[in-house]
Amino acid sequence: MRQIVKLKVNGLEKEVAVEVYQTLLEVIREEFKLFGAREGCGIGMCGACTVLADGKPISSCLMLASLAEGKDLVTIEGLADGGTLHPIQQAFIDENAFQCSYCTPGFILTTKTLLEENPAPSAEEVRAYLAGNLCRCGSYVKIQQAVLNAAARLRGAAVR
Amino acid sequence: MSIVGQSIGMLDGHDRVTGRIPYVLNFEVPGMLVGRILRSPFAHARITAVDGSRAEQLPGVSTVLTRADFAPQTPIKGVYGRVFRDQRVVAAEKVRFVGEPVAAVAAVGEERADEALSLIKVEYEELPAVFDEEEALKPGSPLVHDPRPQLDPAFSSLVGNLSDAGNICSHFKLRHGDVERGFAEADFVFEDTFRSPAVQHVPLEPHVTVAHYANGKLTIWTSTQMPHAIRAQMASLFNLPLTRVRVITQTLGGGFGSKGSLRLEPITSFLAWKANRPVKITLQREEEFVTVCKHPATIHLKTGVMKDGILVARQVRALFNTGAYTDIGPIVARNAGSAMSGPYRTPHVRIDSYAVWAHVVPAGALRGFGVPQAVWAYESQMDMIAERLGLDPVEFRRKNIVRDGDHYATGEKLEGVHYEELLRRAAASVNWAPEEAYWRKKSFAGSMSASQKKVHRGKAVTLVIKATITPSTSTAVLKLNADGSLNVLTSSVEIGQGAKTVLAQIASDAAQIPLEKVLVSEPDTDLTPYDQQTSSSRTTFSMGSAIVLAAKDLTRKLMDLAGEFLEVSADDLTLREGKVEVRGVPERSLGYADILRRACRGDLIGEGAFTTQGGLDLETGQGIGSVHWHQAAAACEVEVDTETGKVTVLRFHPSVFAGRVVNPRLCELQTEGSTFFGLGQALFEEMMYDDNGQVVNRNLGDYMIPSFEDGPLELRVTLLEHEGAGEIHGIGETSLPPVMPAIANAIYNAVGVRIKDLPITPEKILRGLKEKNIAEVQHF
Repeated sequence: MRQIVKLKVNGLEKEVAVEVYQTLLEVIREEFKLFGAREGCGIGMCGACTVLADGKPISSCLMLASLAEGKDLVTIEGLADGGTLHPIQQAFIDENAFQCSYCTPGFILTTKTLLEENPAPSAEEVRAYLAGNLCRCGSYVKIQQAVLNAAARLRGAAVR
Repeated sequence: MSIVGQSIGMLDGHDRVTGRIPYVLNFEVPGMLVGRILRSPFAHARITAVDGSRAEQLPGVSTVLTRADFAPQTPIKGVYGRVFRDQRVVAAEKVRFVGEPVAAVAAVGEERADEALSLIKVEYEELPAVFDEEEALKPGSPLVHDPRPQLDPAFSSLVGNLSDAGNICSHFKLRHGDVERGFAEADFVFEDTFRSPAVQHVPLEPHVTVAHYANGKLTIWTSTQMPHAIRAQMASLFNLPLTRVRVITQTLGGGFGSKGSLRLEPITSFLAWKANRPVKITLQREEEFVTVCKHPATIHLKTGVMKDGILVARQVRALFNTGAYTDIGPIVARNAGSAMSGPYRTPHVRIDSYAVWAHVVPAGALRGFGVPQAVWAYESQMDMIAERLGLDPVEFRRKNIVRDGDHYATGEKLEGVHYEELLRRAAASVNWAPEEAYWRKKSFAGSMSASQKKVHRGKAVTLVIKATITPSTSTAVLKLNADGSLNVLTSSVEIGQGAKTVLAQIASDAAQIPLEKVLVSEPDTDLTPYDQQTSSSRTTFSMGSAIVLAAKDLTRKLMDLAGEFLEVSADDLTLREGKVEVRGVPERSLGYADILRRACRGDLIGEGAFTTQGGLDLETGQGIGSVHWHQAAAACEVEVDTETGKVTVLRFHPSVFAGRVVNPRLCELQTEGSTFFGLGQALFEEMMYDDNGQVVNRNLGDYMIPSFEDGPLELRVTLLEHEGAGEIHGIGETSLPPVMPAIANAIYNAVGVRIKDLPITPEKILRGLKEKNIAEVQHF
């Protein structure tokens, strides 16, 4: 059974016809053609499909698309401000905090929420908060450094 | 300053942080159908009937592929396999593991395709099965292949004459010295058996293939590490010339060896061929677990040693369970077998390394290619022997390490050996002291079990020696454009290792063209020249060398042209930053773009082919095992909670010999990655089978891979380089194999529990502690 839902992704609203069982991840990829969210496990364990819903990271593979109506959805494609990368994205580039980078959008989006909730996390707090995002290439050392650098940079920006 | 040796960030970094890497996963072709695979529920069964007619009638279903499409009278056989032609696109008479493809459908969407699968009727007659590599060799054990499958003639020197060998797929022999004499001379002989389980690669991007057959040409977009090998095998399957098969690869979301051999390419291509429409298959995570895995292995070591700790003899019987189909099992067994004396001088070596068939998921290449299983065994045993002899395990290793000029067990002379330095650095990184050995701690501090401490710490140091595939070939073409920019045409696959960046650095340096003007291609077999494979830690070394040769060819041509225009001999010219100049007269120069314009050329091509020579004799294992040997050490400190059995890796320090480092940051990343990859295998990764041969933990809820919180609290990499501008050594896998025994030995040095079968779970540690306490109580 199909239903029409209005989804707002990266500030743009679009009406899409979805099957009631379709996940938000499928709809973001197939209807919005945004490929930054990716399925890694399909059961909410790996974080590769992370998107922000009203500012909170969710596993889009676990959310039914029809339940995302009315939420403010942000994918990795919506993070940069025009041509300027978000400071977290820039920090990931500066540290080269990725290898295959399949998991990178999920890490960056989760980090965004982490730093909103806790602008000055310790290394332990970074590891604990990001434990739900898996990086099979094992880039964790550089990711931790990128997150700490991004935090410092954002704190600096906030002071100004 | 040369661009080689600098920590350039990945050139595609912007696409990586904005989610725009064009993985094959994202790829779409107009009119594309979705393919899904029906899999066997039995480990071993005869197929008595397959009926896809009801599925075919379902609206939205284009095609059902079954064994009927490969009937004996058709020209298309649908049989493939690199060593043995033992694998079928879809099962014919029999299935041989739970998860084997039996049929496939192409439909308008995933839901419709899944519905169609449920309508395919298959009748099976179950047969007895065997899962374990030791059981499979017992007389009367069910045979996986009977008769033996057809051997590809190119591999006859790999397998040996095994016409009546039951489930033995291949037998690699290494004979060096006289092992019986060695054991007779030895003061002590130690025998131990070590086991490694099946492990899944879990690249976060699953296997994905899109195939399209049109106008007599097959085009495949696929997540593979070997585009040219895929093209050759697909051409053979379809009876087409190589020009009629085009394989295109994009950046991969990880592979770790899983994306090496034919995987989804045959079944997707035959669906597309039959449907006459493009078809895409994306594996679901649980399907990855029944597609390929690390070889489960049972390795029995017999080691002879003098009482002063000098090794004299090593005999090995190694069984690599290659599963129901051969894939590259015999090459894994050989690669591991050739280096089972480890990085140690051992005058008498006798190795028998077997690939064995069993009714489980086919095993293939996994980061380290058999060497992790071997190092797990010999580096665990090194610490066990050191204790039995009362020696410091680091000093015991130092006494025996191979050195420059030694002849290895393969007979080849070793050069550029760095174990003294690697061992010294590794030991220093964790402040190793002889008192760290458990038996020394015990004699100093009394019985550990008597102490009231709940948490204990232990350290360890381990080594590895590993071959890179030899012989091998890489080819590169450099295309200098009219504006002086450079296309690097290569079939090396960007898999997360940073190949595109590192190869651009090498090309920029060799052709003297600024990095921002260099662009490295994606592999496309219609356009990019031959490369054997993106594996075996070979890309930077092998493709890098091909690019240097291509740059020489290109710049020679440039200098010849410039010589005419500048009216000097080409020998009097030199290159600098995109210009050819007269040696010693910098003002007499021509930019690359000027040379092309004056020569009326739209572009200029340089080509380079880099080939290594070698190989091992089938009966003796003697020859050249590796163009150069990869060397690394690992050192770690762990903490073991004796109440819960939980292991925390406090710090880990890999030291790897890298020859000449092209990009330090990317070397560190891969080495850190190897550490995490090994840590998972050390502590928790294992594919669990039930009694019927079914993988039961085939999802990331039940099969754990290392997360942020599993990692070492401190991880610091040492990259050891040649003095001067030496040869590049690949580092993609080298530091992985010593991780597992380093952690096991450190756990032993913490609590005195020796685990010989991976992974080292809390349950095994608690069981070991209990047995040890009972033994110690009885002792008193």
